[in-house]
Amino acid sequence: MADTASQRGGFAAWLLDPKRRGALLVTPAITILFFMNIFPLLWSFGLSFFNYKASSLKVPTFRGLSNYERVLTDEKVWDRFQTTALIVGSSVVLQLIVGFLLALMFAKAFPMRRLVLMLVLTPMMLSFVSVGVFFKLFYEPTFGIVSYVLNFFTTEKFVLLGSPEGAILGIVIADAWMWSPFVMLLVLAGLVSVPKYLYEAAEIDRASKWRTFWTITFPYIKSLLLLAVLFRTIETFKLFDIVYIITDGGPGGMTETIAVYLYRTAFQFFKTSQSSALAYIVLFIVIVLTNLYLYAVNRRAEEID
Amino acid sequence: MNKNKVFKGLMGATLLASGLGGAPVLAADITITMAAPDWPPTRFMKEAFDAGYTSPAGHNTTLDMDFIPWPSFYERVAASLTSGEQKYQMIVTDSQWLGAFVEGGYYMDLTDKINADPELTAIMQDLHPALVSAYSTYPHRTRAQLEEAGVVPAPGVAYYGFPQFPDTYVTFYRQDAFCHAGEMAAFEAKYGTNLPCTYEDWQDTDWKKFAQIGEFFQRAKGEMLGDEVLDDDFYGIAYQAGKGYDFSSMQVNAFVWQQGGDIWDESKAPNAQAEGVVNSDAAVGAFEEYLSMIQYMPPVARTGQMDIFVEQDLYMQGKVGAIIDWVGLGEPVLDPSASKVHDKSAFGPAPGSRQEDGSIDRTGNIGGQPFVLTTWNSDEVVDEALNVVKWWLSPDVQINAVKNGGQSGLKSVMADPTYNDLRPWNRAHVEMIDWQKDVWHIPEFFEMLTQQQEEFDKAITGQISAKEALDAVAEFQQELLEDGGYIE
Repeated sequence: MADTASQRGGFAAWLLDPKRRGALLVTPAITILFFMNIFPLLWSFGLSFFNYKASSLKVPTFRGLSNYERVLTDEKVWDRFQTTALIVGSSVVLQLIVGFLLALMFAKAFPMRRLVLMLVLTPMMLSFVSVGVFFKLFYEPTFGIVSYVLNFFTTEKFVLLGSPEGAILGIVIADAWMWSPFVMLLVLAGLVSVPKYLYEAAEIDRASKWRTFWTITFPYIKSLLLLAVLFRTIETFKLFDIVYIITDGGPGGMTETIAVYLYRTAFQFFKTSQSSALAYIVLFIVIVLTNLYLYAVNRRAEEID
Repeated sequence: MNKNKVFKGLMGATLLASGLGGAPVLAADITITMAAPDWPPTRFMKEAFDAGYTSPAGHNTTLDMDFIPWPSFYERVAASLTSGEQKYQMIVTDSQWLGAFVEGGYYMDLTDKINADPELTAIMQDLHPALVSAYSTYPHRTRAQLEEAGVVPAPGVAYYGFPQFPDTYVTFYRQDAFCHAGEMAAFEAKYGTNLPCTYEDWQDTDWKKFAQIGEFFQRAKGEMLGDEVLDDDFYGIAYQAGKGYDFSSMQVNAFVWQQGGDIWDESKAPNAQAEGVVNSDAAVGAFEEYLSMIQYMPPVARTGQMDIFVEQDLYMQGKVGAIIDWVGLGEPVLDPSASKVHDKSAFGPAPGSRQEDGSIDRTGNIGGQPFVLTTWNSDEVVDEALNVVKWWLSPDVQINAVKNGGQSGLKSVMADPTYNDLRPWNRAHVEMIDWQKDVWHIPEFFEMLTQQQEEFDKAITGQISAKEALDAVAEFQQELLEDGGYIE
């Protein structure tokens, strides 16, 4: 084959050389990746240094770092970051608690375990939009199921989303309902890897349940818990759909996360350059978190080795 | 004579004659793609077009309507326009978007076309002036300014749109409850005034009475409403109290205008101010009155999520006595497959603010949409699109549209003696249309609207007072408008 190719001569021969076959096969994918991902990324990064508005005919002018300065000195942006941090922190903690308890339950055999496990995993497979719509209807005070059940005890309609605290709680519950199964899977993977003889030895030594958990179970699952925390933090930081559908950022702007604010700035106010700058600041934060995640993954890999 | 010479001569003469006489225009296949919100008034337009439109220019014209759900309508249209895909030849647009998309170069100025076409001029002259002001002019001209000009089209005014569906909000109410002898007697005994039962009664209903209605019809599950035992809690009244899009603003603006307040008036730029106007004492008092009635509404109002669809849905479920909502949402209320109150509902004008002379000011924020042409079409497509406009705004088509849940903006059609009987809300709509004003049309409208909606939402959910909300709105708008050069 090589002789045939070289006999053709010229560029074609160079291109079809077996040494370049790998690169040739990968090139279409790289090209698509470049045009679909890299180029838009670079383009939007460039836009963040201009004063471009997508809805305007005015020729954009170079503004340097002024968009970044404007974003970083905007009180509203910091407010939205605080709201995001509150929702992320609350949701991740709840996911850890619920996920961990579910994992403890599924670590043991019980009748219909597989069926129950399948049902528990279902929320994770639903779309964000459908979860948002479900919970919006659940929380509806006039006919929603939450208000209906609580009405038996309070004789009044329960208006969860009417206060900032209630609205944040509503979002946290919806997000935790959807993603606790993910944490459960990670923790369950750790739980089932604990050798049974360690528990038998602990039983013989009459170790308490807490001591057994702390000295035997926890070391096996701690790195997986860390993975779960980091992964869910990264994902919840970008939370948009559930907030937009359940509360639309209300009441007022009390549940408006940074992702929802970014969306409004870009697609409702058409402040394209400013929203690009904000997007890159958010990307920087996500990169930092992702690097922590990768560090934790590598540590886990080392532990296994 | 040589036969060939004769033949060639005849051929040449024929060709010459056809050239001199003007060859017939070749019919073209034209597709008009129109972005439209997905609801009955636009669905009917598509059906009517497919059933009955014939191009006067002889073209083979197709109307391809892109039906977009209301909640995402603005974002989808805006994304399409700004992406440069040039997908749409016509767009059913909200009037508030005129500035943003005219300045962006997307909407076509139709002034010259109107001036050059007697048919279009006649249509424009026949349109209700409130609709011309709101739906067509940019920079915005008030109805008073247009009427002062004396001619239509007015000189120095740019026109961009024609009404696809003019909309106003009216009262939908439970006739079985409001006209029940026992309920009427109890209401009169309690408040010393009549419970509005007939259309004329609603013509004399102000906000004070509306609040009394709200209080009177708050009933718990198991209590009586008319002759029936309630199987769930019942609420007296509802109107727009939603954070999304423009829902609360549409109702709050009515209160503000009726009670002598105002919003920032773009027609008086650059002299008109926001500070001191948006948060004037009159505006604060008006907003406080709006907020005072939330307590009589379904509890979802306290979450700031009672938009036009939620209140309509609660009314159709039989949970509310009277709502103020757009006539565009009237058809489902009368649909037995969708509404529990399809045979119990009646319609009247929306309440207003009683003035010192005893009359009622019903000024409201106009709804509905015009349709516009985009700027990237060939002359042939533009002419055909204007033929579609003329067809839609012809009296026969308009009457048919009204019979199917639409509304007409043409004075001659609304003056038809049968108009008020075509749909049960038509009489109220015709009365309300005379009171209509509009919100801003400048490119920054969405940022102004979103901030205002947020502040209104904080007040509706009890976090801040009406004064604090309007102070925040005024400060924000003053700064934004000064930065944008709209205020000196």
